[in-house]
Amino acid sequence: MPLWIRWMIVVVVLILAGAVVRQECGDSIAKGFEVTMIPKPSKDSAPLFQEEIINKDQNLPFIHVCSLVELAGDKLGALWYGGPYEYCHDNCIYFSTLKKGTWTAPRAIMTPEKIERDLGRPIRCLGNPLLLVNRDGSLRLLFVTIAMGRWSGSQINTSLSKDGGVSWSRVERLTLSPLCNFSELVRNRPIPLVPVSPMTVKSGDSWCVPLYQELIGKFPELLWLKEIDDRVVAQKSRMAGGCATLQPSLLPFDKETAVALLRDWTQAKRIFMSRTKDGGITWTDPVATSLPNPDAGISGLRLSDGNLIVAYNDSVILREKLSLAFSDDSGASWKNIFQLEHDPDACSSYPFLMRTTDGMIRMVYTHEGDNIKMLTINESWITAQLTGMGRPIR
Amino acid sequence: MRAVAEHLHHLYAALAPWSALALLLLGRSPFLSLTRIFGSLFLAFFLLRIPIAGWSCFQWLMVLEPNPSFILTGLLVVALGQRVSGVRLFHPSDWKAGWIFGAIASIVLYPMALGLTVMDPYSLGWKPELPVVVATAAIILILRRKRFGIILILPFVGFLLRLQESHNFWDAVIDPFYGGMALIISAALLVKKIRKGKEF
Repeated sequence: MPLWIRWMIVVVVLILAGAVVRQECGDSIAKGFEVTMIPKPSKDSAPLFQEEIINKDQNLPFIHVCSLVELAGDKLGALWYGGPYEYCHDNCIYFSTLKKGTWTAPRAIMTPEKIERDLGRPIRCLGNPLLLVNRDGSLRLLFVTIAMGRWSGSQINTSLSKDGGVSWSRVERLTLSPLCNFSELVRNRPIPLVPVSPMTVKSGDSWCVPLYQELIGKFPELLWLKEIDDRVVAQKSRMAGGCATLQPSLLPFDKETAVALLRDWTQAKRIFMSRTKDGGITWTDPVATSLPNPDAGISGLRLSDGNLIVAYNDSVILREKLSLAFSDDSGASWKNIFQLEHDPDACSSYPFLMRTTDGMIRMVYTHEGDNIKMLTINESWITAQLTGMGRPIR
Repeated sequence: MRAVAEHLHHLYAALAPWSALALLLLGRSPFLSLTRIFGSLFLAFFLLRIPIAGWSCFQWLMVLEPNPSFILTGLLVVALGQRVSGVRLFHPSDWKAGWIFGAIASIVLYPMALGLTVMDPYSLGWKPELPVVVATAAIILILRRKRFGIILILPFVGFLLRLQESHNFWDAVIDPFYGGMALIISAALLVKKIRKGKEF
């Protein structure tokens, strides 16, 4: 090859590399948690504690991993996956909304047929759904599908709805892992990110979504999403490596600082905790808290006074107990305040905590494997539990 | 628009398995008739379309690897071109550069991306650093007269055209098949070199 041709090729490489670098810079996602101001409850508000089953008449033998969202018009939406059994190809993602105090009949919003048709390839089954509500009211659905094997062979997909969940766009696969894109799963409440410039606002919303991998290692990650004109840009970062913790639950205090509570996969059998001071870019090494964890999902929430609560399985072996714990020192110490479930013959698991704009704390969880229970409490009820004035419900 | 992009992804993703299958069908015979060449190319195409449980072989392959790297695809197309035309497009040193590059990329990427450390090199694929490193490698190889350097241009072209489902530049550069093959061949080359060294 003559020298001048080689230099011509070098120029081409430089031009192409410059274009790729420009594209990569354009797709970068600014980090920074958006923390909404939580209204403090009035001192004379009465403690509230309500329980209800969301899917009373669904009659599915298996349902799991429920999550909640607040939709436009102060409506609540719940979604979960279910079907004949775990790993069944026929499992679907169901969606139900709370209208005027009653939950609508669950509707399948994502079926294996639609996913396979849109992706142009088979899937084994689906799982873990999560819904993000954008500022323009559009709904971004994230869900897991298994390509082969079990959960370690899973991948994350997304679809968008602009009509409140009636119709869904073509399913898109997010590539988040270099080894055949295997073993990425979503779980737990997403955190909106601060829009940094008018351009970002115009482009759409940005989200930080708790993520985890469980192929060779088991470790927590974060999925950073940005909506750009119906296109979603997805990137991820790692919170910790190794084979110890997963399923982070994020509790941001402000734009930069947050704690993450982590499900345990070690012999410690404890909930682990990690902290960030730079908007989730770097995290401290996870340390064990005093709370037990039988390798089960957890969910935490920050209260209006900055204190924290966590819903967790209060056992080191099974998921028969589901409790709430409280921390007034940013997670350094925890105190069990209430036992929600204790049935040795049934398991209650995968809690999902969130706060709605009316100030209520809502929690959904899988109850006895075939129904979804929702709990509604307020901060006065938590205060009552802490001061020993709480009604002995259990 | 998204449907068109999806078709483009599938079309590109089929190129690597089709080339690999065609190479296998062509065999090792030094003399290839036109019938054998075209027969192998067509047969490879039809084999990928054989339905198994309602899905074609290619669609099952997509389950396993939806993002064949542009380097793997490039190397397979070069190998196929060489085999069909009988013209040497790559010298042994070009192939060697390709295997060593793949082995280094695999060692850097896979162990850490799968959780060995808290550092995740895969996330660099969404940042400008990785394209700069690959461009530097391409320039060095091109200036050193290694034709593999030209193959390193393909990830940039493919990435800009969004031919892959993935938007991570690592997937444009390497995939588990290329990485695995590069590691095995590089290890064999290293063993051969050590043995040769001992002889002297």
